[in-house]
Amino acid sequence: MAVYEKKYVWSILLRLFHWTFAPSIFTLIVTGLYIHWPWTNTWLEGSHQFTMATMRWIHFIAGMLFTCAVLARLYLWFFGNKYERVWDFLPITGRNIKNLFSTLLYYAYLTDHHEERLGHNALAGTAYFFTILLAIVQFLTGLYLLYPEGSIFTSIGASLFGTQQEARFIHYILNWYFAWFAMVHIYIVVWNDIKHPEGLISSIFDGFKFAKKEQ
Amino acid sequence: MNRSLFMGGIPGTMSRRGFLRACAIATAAMGLPMEMVPKVAEAASDPKRPSVVWLQFQECTGCSESLLRASHPDVATLILDLISLDYHETLSAAAGKQAEENLEKAIERGNYVLVVEGGIPLKDGGVYCKIAGKTAVEILKRAAEKALAIISIGTCASFGGIQAAKPNPTGAVGVSDIIKDKPIINVPGCPPNPENFLSTVLYFLTFKKLPPTDKFGRPLFAYGRKIHDHCERRPHFDEGRYAEQFGDVGHRLGFCLYKVGCKGPETYSNCPVIRFNDVEVWPVSVGNGCYGCTEPNFWDTMTPFHKRLPNVKIPGAGEGIQASAGKIGKAALGVTAAAVAIHAGVGIAKRLATGSKSEE
Repeated sequence: MAVYEKKYVWSILLRLFHWTFAPSIFTLIVTGLYIHWPWTNTWLEGSHQFTMATMRWIHFIAGMLFTCAVLARLYLWFFGNKYERVWDFLPITGRNIKNLFSTLLYYAYLTDHHEERLGHNALAGTAYFFTILLAIVQFLTGLYLLYPEGSIFTSIGASLFGTQQEARFIHYILNWYFAWFAMVHIYIVVWNDIKHPEGLISSIFDGFKFAKKEQ
Repeated sequence: MNRSLFMGGIPGTMSRRGFLRACAIATAAMGLPMEMVPKVAEAASDPKRPSVVWLQFQECTGCSESLLRASHPDVATLILDLISLDYHETLSAAAGKQAEENLEKAIERGNYVLVVEGGIPLKDGGVYCKIAGKTAVEILKRAAEKALAIISIGTCASFGGIQAAKPNPTGAVGVSDIIKDKPIINVPGCPPNPENFLSTVLYFLTFKKLPPTDKFGRPLFAYGRKIHDHCERRPHFDEGRYAEQFGDVGHRLGFCLYKVGCKGPETYSNCPVIRFNDVEVWPVSVGNGCYGCTEPNFWDTMTPFHKRLPNVKIPGAGEGIQASAGKIGKAALGVTAAAVAIHAGVGIAKRLATGSKSEE
């Protein structure tokens, strides 16, 4: 029987990031799809209903929280603890490149071997890295759409993405990306949690993982 | 508005009162305070009228047509009293060799405002648009040399327009893609509102410089704000009342046209405020959504006009197959959900078959 010990992995800020990011993504997908296609059509005139305005308001608040979360994660890329820094999980070192391929084989049930590591594996880390990049695109297009006239976001948005319509198109496509990411992320996390006793899911609540104790 | 308000007793002339009124409207359109009206009137009545050379390339003459319907001031006042229109293929009395001589003379005299209507093809040496044996790009470069400033009227001259839509067979571009060393202002639209063109001209006459512009070279006084934010149907948008399709109850009650593809939320223009042609209408007020015609590449990005977003070409499926972005998003999500289910199934099957636990 292997002996396990508790190891502190995720800092408070990272967990705060995760628990701001995740619910904001959920809210943004639901309200975003509504704004794209307002399916509850109220033909009642002079009513107190502000369905679209309310949905947009929720979307904007969630978008601001989403932006804050992304900025926090960017900070942790460079100033977080050892497991949170970007070079710990990107396939830029020999160790991580090897880990990327072995994780792919392992996830495809082609090998039973896998490397025990406390932080992200290289595959997850790479996916998170690109997700944060896309999140930056998402909040920049969002701010461009929200502040379309004479703001700093207008000039950034117009030079990076072109017209409002082009920004809106990118923003809409990425909405689907985040829905896709959430689904895959939750599945793989549950899958890993079932296969390993490291306590992956609880680690995002309390920050601790379990590792085999050196004997 | 009654046209005769602007006219004098003689057809085609303008009363002093009508003239001042026209100046006041133009001043308001430029976003200038009313104290500026005398200045604008002074500049507009300067006997030294500025020379204007008007070139037409890949275009439908819709921009000129729209200008013909302007009334503040009307086109006769514009070309006879305000400016000296030295060359315009559609409006000039001269034709053929004589017209080309007029152009040559005007260019030699210099000091003119160059107005360009239509896109300019560059592919294969620009052979796809030729006038009097010269290619459009040659004529433009020659005329731009001595121009004080260039006004690109319409979306074609501004951004290339319909001929620049994918796949752009003639390699058409807008004026600002060719001429780099002159002040250029874009007055896009398909067609643009003549008021915006006239206000730009009057701004130039009054201040001897072009008005401030946005990132796409459009004067801010006309293209600084989004249509959506000035739309008379905006309350219906916020309260969630939409026409579901053309001709339904919501459409007849004048509800928001968002769901039938109105591009007002993505388009900058003063259409809801200035409106068109003295009859005080604009597309949305007569029940058709905005097509976004003042935006660069609108033929590519705003089509299908009655859908919210452009379709996505399916990669690898050749030219033919297109689907809406939403359909593709749902399909990707569905395929992944299936993949996840298979993956989970394989895991369970493997464990059942081997009876092994991955961890001891």
